[in-house]
Amino acid sequence: MKKRTWRCFVCNDIHYGVAPPELCPTCKVLNAYVEISADEAQKVLGGGPGITMTPDEFRAAIERLTAGNEFEVNPDREKVDMLIQGIFANEANHGLKYCPCRLCTKDWEEDLKIVCPCNFTIHETYKGVKDGECWCGLFVRRK
Amino acid sequence: MADLLMFHGRECPHCKTMMPLVEKLEQETGIRFDKREVWHDEKNADLMRSYRAALTPTCGSQLRVPTFFNPETRDAVCGEVEYEKLKEWALKQ
Repeated sequence: MKKRTWRCFVCNDIHYGVAPPELCPTCKVLNAYVEISADEAQKVLGGGPGITMTPDEFRAAIERLTAGNEFEVNPDREKVDMLIQGIFANEANHGLKYCPCRLCTKDWEEDLKIVCPCNFTIHETYKGVKDGECWCGLFVRRK
Repeated sequence: MADLLMFHGRECPHCKTMMPLVEKLEQETGIRFDKREVWHDEKNADLMRSYRAALTPTCGSQLRVPTFFNPETRDAVCGEVEYEKLKEWALKQ
């Protein structure tokens, strides 16, 4: 199923997916999403706050992601610093926050799978592993 | 035997861990690894991509670093591995 982009006609929330949410999570209006082009979605997002993210903001974002999950950001600060440096270098040089421990294939859909944070919970380094971690080690199973 | 390849990333902690082990292995056995950084050198990245079909079956269906590869036998080892395991693999090539 191909993912498309949608815009809430009430509050301009943007959604990327195979179908829009029935209820807009921001303005709580029902059936408010209209399909738009990816180009238009980028223009809507491009003018607003948060268009760029600093490494510290990214670190805070992934900390929030892990809260309430069975995994956490690796307590090894030195390793995390190195990884975040690589993630931001990849975004600057290659367009997205690609994992520093893998490589783009130049297949767009395939490469979205290595944007950090990736869905590492299905990977053999994490799934069913007691001390599991994502491939790069940014996320580790919470002890 | 041609040089073995080591694909690595500058900001990859596993690669950083493996690098001194590779250098130790080179000194101990005389085997040489052609070390290719893939995120800051597009030619090296393209070289790694050219071996995608051979690498992905043993690397979780992805291109991962570090990866050690013999372009002649197309045999690969991925990730942070113990010194003895890497040595055994390299001597087998």
